[in-house]
Amino acid sequence: MTDLTRRGFVKNSAGAAAGMTVIGALVADEADARGAPPGTEPVVAYVSDPAKGEISVMTGDRELTVHDRKLAARITRAAR
Amino acid sequence: MSSHREAPAISKDPVADNTDTYAFVSPDDPGTVTIISNYLPLEAPFGGPNFFEFGDDVRYELHIDNDADGEPEITYEFEFETEVLNPDTFLYNVGPIDSITSPNWNRRQFYTVTRVKNGHRQVIGRHLACPPCNIGPSSTPKYGALAAEAVHKLGGGLTVFAGQRLEGFYVDLGAIFDLGDLRPFQKLHLSGMANAHGVDATHDFSVHSIALKVPKSELTSDGSTPTNPAKQVSVIGVWAAASRRRAVIREPGNGTSHESGGWVQVSRLGNPLINEAIIAMGDKDRWNAQPPAGDSQFAHYYEHPELAVLLPVLYPGVFPKLAKLTAARADLVAILLTGIPSGIVAGFQNYTGSRQADQLRLNMAIPPASKPNPIGLIGGDAAGFPNGRRVFDDVVTVELRAIAGATYPLVNKSYKPDPAAALVTDGLGPNATRYQPHFPYLGDPQSGYQTTPLAA
Repeated sequence: MTDLTRRGFVKNSAGAAAGMTVIGALVADEADARGAPPGTEPVVAYVSDPAKGEISVMTGDRELTVHDRKLAARITRAAR
Repeated sequence: MSSHREAPAISKDPVADNTDTYAFVSPDDPGTVTIISNYLPLEAPFGGPNFFEFGDDVRYELHIDNDADGEPEITYEFEFETEVLNPDTFLYNVGPIDSITSPNWNRRQFYTVTRVKNGHRQVIGRHLACPPCNIGPSSTPKYGALAAEAVHKLGGGLTVFAGQRLEGFYVDLGAIFDLGDLRPFQKLHLSGMANAHGVDATHDFSVHSIALKVPKSELTSDGSTPTNPAKQVSVIGVWAAASRRRAVIREPGNGTSHESGGWVQVSRLGNPLINEAIIAMGDKDRWNAQPPAGDSQFAHYYEHPELAVLLPVLYPGVFPKLAKLTAARADLVAILLTGIPSGIVAGFQNYTGSRQADQLRLNMAIPPASKPNPIGLIGGDAAGFPNGRRVFDDVVTVELRAIAGATYPLVNKSYKPDPAAALVTDGLGPNATRYQPHFPYLGDPQSGYQTTPLAA
């Protein structure tokens, strides 16, 4: 996957700048841990229950659970 | 089958389908224990041109519980990667494969072994080669030598092998899944057909095995080599599992995908035939996703196995005492979920406390038998199932007899089993040609060329 495509995927998943903030933090954390520049691995965001605002953000073998009702609502709207 | 295609979800994911798990004191190296876990059920040896292989996207795991808490204190993880020398041919091999480094072998697998012990991760083997599948005399002319090249020594006295093996588990599948119509007794079955010999349904098939031989002292909680069968430190719990990443994103149009997230267990196996024939359909996929430490939630299946109700119905008049046995089967719970305490079977115990967890429980202080009995402990051979499990153990017969009531007197001496409980079997026994006397103990697979479909 190209870097451009990867960013596009994140945008499509998150659908908002706020999403990029949360997801970007995970990517940056991942990059710090591995000494690689940000954006080298795809990121997957999974909203299992939009009403609860719980988002699972995954990259590599890492997974972070974020509680953000507004972000979850934006992702859900973007998916419809 | 033991655990082949035993649950709806995993039956659609054979690469991750854990079919059998074995744990036994190595008969030719009794200071060690060998643990084997098989995957990929019912491999037809001629299944090319993309012959069978482990999943690069699966993490395979061998777990050891050495302090009776149902949790793993030691895990050996196996992760595979496939390398293709020439992507411009459809061929698995472009000439005879005379060694595992042969350039004629086009598609090959390597693996990494990681030991996780008390939370500490350590890679103990890198880029270890698997053998090829057994194709035929033109492609893999000296298969035994090829497979032997793929037995690797690791540091600390460990030995490992990962690759295709001959299926060691024998069972009359066609009869058992035809409403329990056991051929040696089918005249007594509702079908009323004439008795016949059992049919070994799996005898030419292959599996993919991960085999690890480990010094006993690496497995005990205190680093000792156990010699006293009465001590708890002599007993370990063993199970295997397979996990996949939480998310998979398939890229349209180019045949690639990305996996993301943590590892999620999709298959597990301790005792044979449990998820197959004890756990009900509605819980099978969940059972595969759960760790053994939580198995008390499934205890009712062990206490009241469906098969114990079916046997008296399928064989009218043969199991009258079993038909009246409605108490919770504490014998099955002991054998399969907690281990057998001292004082039940003379000189034997593999008890790990009251925590219920489906594991093979191996008392490592019990030496290998000089004359093994395939029905193990119920045949007077304490080195066999359910003290761990050897590759040739007749676990179908053992569990049929246990469920039929043969082991209930262990917990209730006033119970007299039906005479049939000591006789019931699917009519098969171990065929020595399926095994070898040294590591990895399962025999070389049949070649595709030499296998006649459905010759059984």
